[in-house]
Amino acid sequence: MEKLLSDSISSQVREVFQQLKNPVQVMLFISQAQAEACDITRQLLEEVVELSDNLNLIVYDLAVEPELARLYKVAGKAPAIVMAAREGTQITDYGIRLLGVPSGHEFGTLIQDLLLVAGRDSGLSPQLRTYIKGLSKPLHLEVFVTPT
Amino acid sequence: MLAHQIAMENPAMVLAEGVGATDFQELSQDYGISSVPDTVINDGAGRVVGAVPEQNMLAEIMRTIGK
Repeated sequence: MEKLLSDSISSQVREVFQQLKNPVQVMLFISQAQAEACDITRQLLEEVVELSDNLNLIVYDLAVEPELARLYKVAGKAPAIVMAAREGTQITDYGIRLLGVPSGHEFGTLIQDLLLVAGRDSGLSPQLRTYIKGLSKPLHLEVFVTPT
Repeated sequence: MLAHQIAMENPAMVLAEGVGATDFQELSQDYGISSVPDTVINDGAGRVVGAVPEQNMLAEIMRTIGK
C-alpha cells in the first residue's frame, strides 16, 4: 500500500515529535457507514503514530463498541479521533476530538494536538484557566474547519 | 486549536471537537456554516466566526453560558 505521508513530511514530523515527552493514547473510532474516510484516517494515523515511541493507536468500530463510543461521546461520529494522555495503563481524557479525515490544514492541527496532549498543559492565560476550571455547566465547542 | 486547549482545563465539563466540514456536511449545513473556522458553542447558543484571540473566545463563552 502506498504511503499517505511523503518521506519529507514523515521526517519533518519525526523531528517535531522529539518534543513529545509524555505518552499519548490515540483512539480512532470507525464505522462501515464512512468506510473510505475511515480507511484513509486509519492509514494516516498508523503512519503518524510510527513516528514517535510515545504514541499509541487503538482502533474501535462504533458498531462493536457502542458503550465505549458513548463514554467518549463519539457515538454516530466517524471517523472520530480521541487524543488522551496515558500514564502506564491510566488514560486521561482531555475532551479533545478531531472529527473527519485530518488532511490539509487539519493535519497540522493533528500534530499540534498530539504535542499539546503530550505536554500535559493547556498553555492558556491564567484568567482563562481560572474561568474554565470554575465552570459548573457543560461547554460544547464545535469548531468547523475545512481541510484546505 | 484554542478549543482543545480550553477542554484540557476542565475535561469533565468541556468537549471540544474539531469538525472537518467536508466529512460532516449535514452537521455543517444544520448550523449554516459558510466561512471557517466557525466555533459553535453549546449547539448554537453561541458562535465565534474566524480565528480569534483567547479574550474574544472567552467573551463569547461567558456571554453564552454566563459568568
